[in-house]
Amino acid sequence: MNVSIQPALKSLQTAALIAVVAVVGIFVGYFIDFLITDNPEVSAPEQPIAFSHKIHAGDNEIPCQYCHTEARRSPSAGVPSVNKCMGCHNEVATESPLIRQVSEYWENKEPIPWVKVHDLPDFVHFTHKRHVQAGIACQTCHGPVETMDKISVHSRNNDGPTLLASTTGEIMNSETSAVAATQNDHWEMGLCLNCHKQHDVVDGKAVRVDDGGFDNGLDCWTCHK
Amino acid sequence: MSFLDRITEGWRKNRKPGYYEDFDYHWAMTIDLDQCSGCGACVTACQAENNLPIVGEDAFTKGREIKWLRIEHYWEGEYPDVKLNVIPMMCQHCDSAPCETVCPVSATYHNQDGLNTQIYNRCIGTRSCAVYCPYEVRYFNYNDHTWESPLDQQLNPDVSVREKGVMEKCTFCIQRIRQAKDNAKDDGRRRVRDGEVQPACVQTCPSKAMVFGDRNDPQSQVSQSLNDPRSYKVLDELNTNSSVVYLKKVEAEG
Amino acid sequence: MPNIDRRDFIKLVGAGGVGVGAGVVLRESIKHPKEHLIPHVLAPEDYSSGVATWYNSVCSMCSAGCGISVRTREGRAKKIEGNPSHAVNQGGLCAVGQAGLQVLYNPDRLTGPLLQSANRGSDGFTQITWEDGLTRVASRLDVLRAAGRGNRIALLTRGVGGHLAELLESFAEGVGTDQLHHYDYDHPHALYAANERFFGKQHLPYYDLSNTRHLLSFGADYLAGWLSPVHHSLGFANSRHGGDNRGYFVQIEPRMSPSGAAADEWVPAKPGTEGILALGLAHHIVASGHYEGEDINEWKDVLSAYTLEKVAEETDVSESVLRRLAESFANASPSLAIGGDGAGNNSNGVDTLVAINALNYLAGNVGEVGGVIFNPDPAGATSHSRQANYQTLAQLAESARAGEIDVLILNDVNPVFTMPLASEFKAALAQIPFIVSLSSFIDETSALADVILPSHTYLESWGDAFPEQGVGFSIGAVSQPVIAPLYNTKATGDIVLDLARRIGKPMRWDSTEDCIKDGWNKIYQESDSNTRTESFESFWTALLKAGVWGKKNHLKTDTSRPNANTIASIGVDAPTFSGDAELYPFVLQPYRSGMHDGRAANLPWIQELPDAMTSVVYGSWVEINPKTAKDLGLTEGDLVDIESVEGAVRAPILVYPAIRPDVIAMPIGQGHTNYGRYASNRGANPLEILSPLVDDNSGNVASNATRVKIVATGKHVEIVKTGGKSRDLGRDIVQTTGGDDHTAQTNSIPITVIPT
Repeated sequence: MNVSIQPALKSLQTAALIAVVAVVGIFVGYFIDFLITDNPEVSAPEQPIAFSHKIHAGDNEIPCQYCHTEARRSPSAGVPSVNKCMGCHNEVATESPLIRQVSEYWENKEPIPWVKVHDLPDFVHFTHKRHVQAGIACQTCHGPVETMDKISVHSRNNDGPTLLASTTGEIMNSETSAVAATQNDHWEMGLCLNCHKQHDVVDGKAVRVDDGGFDNGLDCWTCHK
Repeated sequence: MSFLDRITEGWRKNRKPGYYEDFDYHWAMTIDLDQCSGCGACVTACQAENNLPIVGEDAFTKGREIKWLRIEHYWEGEYPDVKLNVIPMMCQHCDSAPCETVCPVSATYHNQDGLNTQIYNRCIGTRSCAVYCPYEVRYFNYNDHTWESPLDQQLNPDVSVREKGVMEKCTFCIQRIRQAKDNAKDDGRRRVRDGEVQPACVQTCPSKAMVFGDRNDPQSQVSQSLNDPRSYKVLDELNTNSSVVYLKKVEAEG
Repeated sequence: MPNIDRRDFIKLVGAGGVGVGAGVVLRESIKHPKEHLIPHVLAPEDYSSGVATWYNSVCSMCSAGCGISVRTREGRAKKIEGNPSHAVNQGGLCAVGQAGLQVLYNPDRLTGPLLQSANRGSDGFTQITWEDGLTRVASRLDVLRAAGRGNRIALLTRGVGGHLAELLESFAEGVGTDQLHHYDYDHPHALYAANERFFGKQHLPYYDLSNTRHLLSFGADYLAGWLSPVHHSLGFANSRHGGDNRGYFVQIEPRMSPSGAAADEWVPAKPGTEGILALGLAHHIVASGHYEGEDINEWKDVLSAYTLEKVAEETDVSESVLRRLAESFANASPSLAIGGDGAGNNSNGVDTLVAINALNYLAGNVGEVGGVIFNPDPAGATSHSRQANYQTLAQLAESARAGEIDVLILNDVNPVFTMPLASEFKAALAQIPFIVSLSSFIDETSALADVILPSHTYLESWGDAFPEQGVGFSIGAVSQPVIAPLYNTKATGDIVLDLARRIGKPMRWDSTEDCIKDGWNKIYQESDSNTRTESFESFWTALLKAGVWGKKNHLKTDTSRPNANTIASIGVDAPTFSGDAELYPFVLQPYRSGMHDGRAANLPWIQELPDAMTSVVYGSWVEINPKTAKDLGLTEGDLVDIESVEGAVRAPILVYPAIRPDVIAMPIGQGHTNYGRYASNRGANPLEILSPLVDDNSGNVASNATRVKIVATGKHVEIVKTGGKSRDLGRDIVQTTGGDDHTAQTNSIPITVIPT
């Protein structure tokens, strides 16, 4: 009897081809979604009020902690209350349409639903207090916020300054600053770990060292919870 | 130096006696069985502090409950000369922990404070550690647990909510230890004071049967309690070198 | 490349399309969700995001009055711990106290006022506004009050102490009714009655466990439920901590309770004979010359019938054990005898507790450190004078049946669950034309209401407490709101104040807070003007911060001898039981387990907390001696009907090593028909089948005096248990020591020494 395995092989080939096409499709779909949605519009999302950090922190040189008051005494930096906004804007730029929006929230006694940009996963413990008190500049992790009209996690496009103002008022150069601004583009474990490996705490301040970083700072449970 | 040599050297370094004495703290707990009444306040305290799930009746029948701390009951004798011995059982934070050596992904390891810790993100759920643990105090998440609204508003923000496929166990309330260290830094102190940090179970114990503290500090309450002639370790013959030490129950004559 | 025909081409295109779609869906699903940062409009002063704020308050889960510290984050309560400064609990807290958070966050909590728009008892509740609800209630009250028929209004509340109790009094006066009843199932009526008879005081004294060397506990489960369990646990631990002074604890009860397990000796006397046993010991103490008071002859007379031989026979405890107990009780100094729960809930309950008082008196423990110490009068109201016993509630039901009650106001109380079916309490409620409930939940009682005006939980409202059994001196604490109200509810006090205003009888306070503050202002004014703070406001702030107030005014008076009549009245009859001993061979002991009187059954943490003795979760069980089980051919999990004269309940058998063969025990708390998703239709309620046998001296039902029989159903269920193995398997997990090496003084525990 003359038996051929050709038909069987052919259907196997077709099945394999279909599978390959489907898998490639998944990657393509993933990438398409990335192209469509992961543009600066999303990583720097639209806020309920087009608040500009450039105007406040950059042009008018208002210190970060004037509004984010909790940063030095709490794990979370805190968002200013509407009352705080109105503290200045009762007098300043009251006629601007954006400020009118703020006063509207204030008059209705409603909070402004800001969209969170810098977000850590829920299993991460991060405390602003320790880092701010150790003299690490806000920009070290957040990038050159004072140049951003719209806050975004991507700082690479903004050519951030290499000189970062520290919270203690002194200027840190890229040698002493905790981390070069170019590392800011991804908020992942490496960002934290690199810095912890390169620094030690001396008299409560972060100081750059070459050998292995500071006590406890490399234990998983320093940051994981 | 070959890769293998480096691993062996690292292993030796970490296994030499007195290794943990080099570190700032070596947390330990003593439980006085003569004072424990087995009331279960510690069990609920643990559940509240550490976001332990409400697993439901079904899970209990399948042995899938999650209680980092449980009260074990051992009956002895027959009526009328019958006795009930109770013992709170949680992770013993062994210094030679059998669970740590078997994890294929090093999700459980010993940290420099002498704690046996579990990294939930790393855990891939092989459950080997639970098999190796002689105290049976490791609990596996067979399901994603949910809290019926608004019970979820009670969840402790300092503790992760674990998801399906992850092993979990007592942490000695590491979030409280972290908080205490943080407070010490705020006060400009290098060390946490004795008694400043108490796990939830120790804090709530109505009969103050539990003592927690730093074993490296000879003045601490726990160090003194460890020297009590009544102290013993459960399953000490396995050389697990546990950090939880029990004080024997006293059998007094009337 | 193989040739592609049309069909394959379509397949490939399809596969590609599905793949692309799956890729998009995949990425969208793993993408981090958009989160918001919601700021305050106006930031409160005591708030900092990411930092916990602690508030001191008072636990209201039972009447012990423990101080609590509540941890809040971002305006939400996260954890309840004991307040370390509060002398009652000194930082400790029981499981139920911690589960108070689940009262607050319970998914079955009522979120606003409800009106029953269908038949009573159905789930035809509809949402109404507060205005509507209050108007409906006020108009009913107003009509009755205006017609001078205020006495047709009845108020039934859970035991409320402090200034809120005064507010309720004032309200009752305003509407013109004297039908104001506080009701707690476990209120120790018998103990009050016994203390009045023996000491001439309707008060709870302070039992100084901390300093005692020898404790005889007659059925009082002092570590798990009796009066003030957390404080007793501290005392127990302190007594077990004193090196050579280690206290010796004896527990006399037919079924081993957690206190029995913790004791050094467990004596299973026949149920109801605890008082006889106490008098037997008293007899021995007097006869053997341990007592030398002037009234010794009177004592000899009254105790002559209680020879050890006779008592041994009646109590089923051997003469040698009795003699040893009597000797060690008399020789240990100080020693202490306490009685309650099991011993107080028999037909001879009050006589039994009087006998225990006598035992303390004869051993010289009254007014002594380590003995029975009298508390000063509490600085604020306690609920006892208004506490309803079984007879009072039965009377209320009788009035309802006779049509003498027009309006019933219920406050967070569930008598339908705790009253025996034989009382027909539920049926009596049906005769009342209008029932209002202020409960936070729909339970068996509030389900019968016409209008429900849900009140705040204790974590959202003002209140105060003056724990009566206390700590030996005056103590009080303020309960303050720790978070803003979650729902559209109102504080109990505010509802009552509002109703009073609406019926034209406004009280002198504007709000509950006002009332509490006013009360504390009086305490402030009465305090020593040399030592007190400058102003009331600073006192108030300090009070809220500390969470507790105390006055060291310990009373070491009144060790006066009982008069001849009192001594002559001492005597304990053999207990009586309902049900024929032949037909109903077992005495049923319903005991309080971790769920208190059933009010904690809707808290999932408590449902999942393994029972302290049996490790059972989620359900009811019947405890039975191994020998009895063998005789009846029953094993664990066999479903049986427990039948009394009054009815039957069904639960699985649990073979329990430490219970008398002629006694069976069941936990109270489960068996709810209507108390939310966690409690409903789970287990059985043994209180249902109790006979309404009343101890006339206390007016309360003798809950341990019902005989039952066991009827096997042939069905089998699995009892849900946890807690590891119940066998040691020779591993020597719990180790014991003979007592030689326990003398080493270890850590010192900061337990307050009671000033004398």
